Amino acid sequence: MPPSSEPASRQAPKLCYHCGEEVPSGLELAILIGGEMRPMCCPGCRAVAGLISASGLETFYQQRTAYNERPPELPPANADQYLVYDDPQLAAGFSETGPDGAITARLLLGGISCAACTWLIEQTMMRLPGVSMALVNLQQSRLDIRFDPAQLPLSQVFARLDALGYRVRPFQASTQRLQMSREYRLELRRLAVAGLGMMQVGMFAIALHAGDIQGIEGQYQGLLRWVSLLVASFVVLFSARPFFSTAWRHLRQGALVMDLPVALAIGLAWLASAWATFTGTGQVYFDSVVMFTFFLLLGRFLERRARQRHNITWFDAQGTLPDAVSARRNEQWVTVPRVQLVAGDLVLIKAGDTVPVDALVATGASAVREDTFNGEPLPRRVTAGDTIYAGTVNVEAAVQASVLGSYLESRLAALQRSVEQAQTGKPRLARLADRVASWFVGAILLITTGTALVWSQLAPEQAFWIALSVLVISCPCALALATPAALTSAASALRASGVIVRGENALEALSRATHLIFDKTGTLTEGALAIARIELLGDASREQVLAVAAAMQQYSSHPVARAFSELEPAGGLQQVEYLVGAGLEAQRDGHTYRMGSEPFCRGQAPGLAHAPAEPLYWIALCRDSQPLAWIGLYDRTRPEAAAVVTAARQANMEVQLLTGDSSSQGSILARELGIEHVRSGLEPQQKMAHVQSLQQAGAVVAMVGDGLNDAPVLGVADASFAVASASDLARTQADFVLVDGDLHSITTTWRKARQGRRVIMQNLAWALAYNVCAIPLAACGLVPPWAAAIGMSLSSLLVVANSLRLNNRPRD
Amino acid sequence: MDSLYLLIPIALLFCAIAIKLLLWAIDSGQYDDLDKEAWKILADDEPPRESADGQAPHNTSEEKQS
Repeated sequence: MPPSSEPASRQAPKLCYHCGEEVPSGLELAILIGGEMRPMCCPGCRAVAGLISASGLETFYQQRTAYNERPPELPPANADQYLVYDDPQLAAGFSETGPDGAITARLLLGGISCAACTWLIEQTMMRLPGVSMALVNLQQSRLDIRFDPAQLPLSQVFARLDALGYRVRPFQASTQRLQMSREYRLELRRLAVAGLGMMQVGMFAIALHAGDIQGIEGQYQGLLRWVSLLVASFVVLFSARPFFSTAWRHLRQGALVMDLPVALAIGLAWLASAWATFTGTGQVYFDSVVMFTFFLLLGRFLERRARQRHNITWFDAQGTLPDAVSARRNEQWVTVPRVQLVAGDLVLIKAGDTVPVDALVATGASAVREDTFNGEPLPRRVTAGDTIYAGTVNVEAAVQASVLGSYLESRLAALQRSVEQAQTGKPRLARLADRVASWFVGAILLITTGTALVWSQLAPEQAFWIALSVLVISCPCALALATPAALTSAASALRASGVIVRGENALEALSRATHLIFDKTGTLTEGALAIARIELLGDASREQVLAVAAAMQQYSSHPVARAFSELEPAGGLQQVEYLVGAGLEAQRDGHTYRMGSEPFCRGQAPGLAHAPAEPLYWIALCRDSQPLAWIGLYDRTRPEAAAVVTAARQANMEVQLLTGDSSSQGSILARELGIEHVRSGLEPQQKMAHVQSLQQAGAVVAMVGDGLNDAPVLGVADASFAVASASDLARTQADFVLVDGDLHSITTTWRKARQGRRVIMQNLAWALAYNVCAIPLAACGLVPPWAAAIGMSLSSLLVVANSLRLNNRPRD
Repeated sequence: MDSLYLLIPIALLFCAIAIKLLLWAIDSGQYDDLDKEAWKILADDEPPRESADGQAPHNTSEEKQS
């Protein structure tokens, strides 16, 4: 369940009041909100929560329905990067200046988790001096803001949103987005017309039905039929148009889809009723026509809205790159917009910054974390002459690098392109309903023709009406509703248990999945290093070793340091020095401590033994010439991973592991979890190719991943999961996003998908059985119109009711 | 019963007006964000807007009791 208005848990472990993550033990970051001390998991969250509470907007925490996203460490520090947006030329791309000098800017926001966020953002922005309008569109994650640039520079707007914990960048109105919002409005218009039309026609229909029972004068019956015809024609021509156009489009390509029987039913029932109205004979079905149109449109509209709601428009890989870059111009460092960089420019990349472009290191040495491309948290060492790639993070020291080319030529852009390729290359599994539809249509047309032929021999004057009644009674309402009703119901049940379902069709694919493929780092493992073993070498105790290590690592920004951040550090450290590519050196009580790589420590303590053979990430600690310990670090496996793998194997799914890590860690993890097939050292494109070759061999593949590097493979898999901490690009490619980060949700989801498939089967079986029974009766001319109407409604209701059974909370 | 000939056209006229209004509302963007508006009516007791001098606003009593 999403957290209610009071997300703080009473029980251990303590959860961060802001983002809902577990508070590391021993961390005492709390802040007064709403009269109570609330625990915080990191300085970033505390800064954001402090800002919210200081501006008197604490009610936000009572109103929200989901936790916020965890902000990056200490957000306000990087406010300078937004100064480039004060450049009017750059700002012109996403803002316009009104006649009174006020600027209206459109900004794209990342991290909006619920409707209360829109309130928080609007309130905060309206309090800034000079702001005259702030309007958040939740569906597009867009903020429209109008302000006076004399009182407030645009960079301040960016910095303020950043300080609130939302990622912000200019909103570029792409043609795709414009198209989407135009279609949305058009669908809503169709729905509105169908809804109002349904009420009108329904009213007249009650009068007509009452007339059938009590008797009605011919002139009034004629009047009611004529007005019904008028309204229904409008609805059919305007609202039901997409059914006709889709059916026709597919028919021309020789494909029979579900829209064809729908279009036939609507079209023929309308024609028959119109004929009856003109001739004053037979029966009218205007109410059924309009109601059917309305409910089908409603179902599609709801499905589309659910899909768009979670369709984060933050999908551009380029958006992860900094917009402002320090570049060398005229013998001094100036901040320039990234887009203005050309090949050969010298740029300065500080420790902790994201590399803005593909570049060649000119001077300096550092390490870059390349989890963008291989998912690994451990960085790669780089020195002068090495290439560093846009989108990776410089973790150790500042380097100067010369730009190799524009964004479009970068490795990151190639990754983004393969994501787009994956979207178009995704195999379309023929949907169950469409396959049923294709022979259903054929059968109906055949039976109708047969009926008409037979009756034209027996009683020519009745042949037309009986053939029509066969067509109307076979109106595939139940058949058309069978699949969407079940899928929508299953999706809403999953949503309630912490899985966002973005593509409902993926549920059908998932129910047939033969392969379940995992990424390693960040998916099966936690994606951060933890201490696995400590080999003591000297006289220092375990506690002393850890305390000194923790104290030294406080001065490092290397990912290794995270493993020590929860430990109590020793005091008295002096002259701590960070040596790039080697380790840390510090003075304490007259001793010199070194911690880091083997050659670095052996330089001071020649007696240091070789690192233990175990495949862990080993770092040494020594005091003067005495080795103290080897500390082995590893990426901890998620505790529930084994259970999830076992459950999938028991359900006859083949489990595989694909990892960008080229070390032996992948196969060790696979053995530990009982996974048979492992592929290591794969580039994102190779992962994608592997999945595609499986699909060509007939497999239906479900993929679980997290990183930017998983985005292409998530895009191409038949059904895909992104775990909670996944990158935005991976989220946009995934059909399911696991909100609470519990891998058990994967098991829950595929079980629900299989259950959903059973319900769809039952629905289809019922709908077909109804038709099989009713059509012969109609063909014999035995079904009175009122019975046909009731039968149609009842069969649809039954299908919907059966589908609602899926809405029960998933059983574990 | 002859009144039907008057009443039904009137009903149709009302219906046409309602459709016209609804379409106008959709086109003017009032239904573009159904999620937010649904939530917004529950949160209408917005704190007063801060004046430009940067002072924190005074909390309402409802905010304090939380």
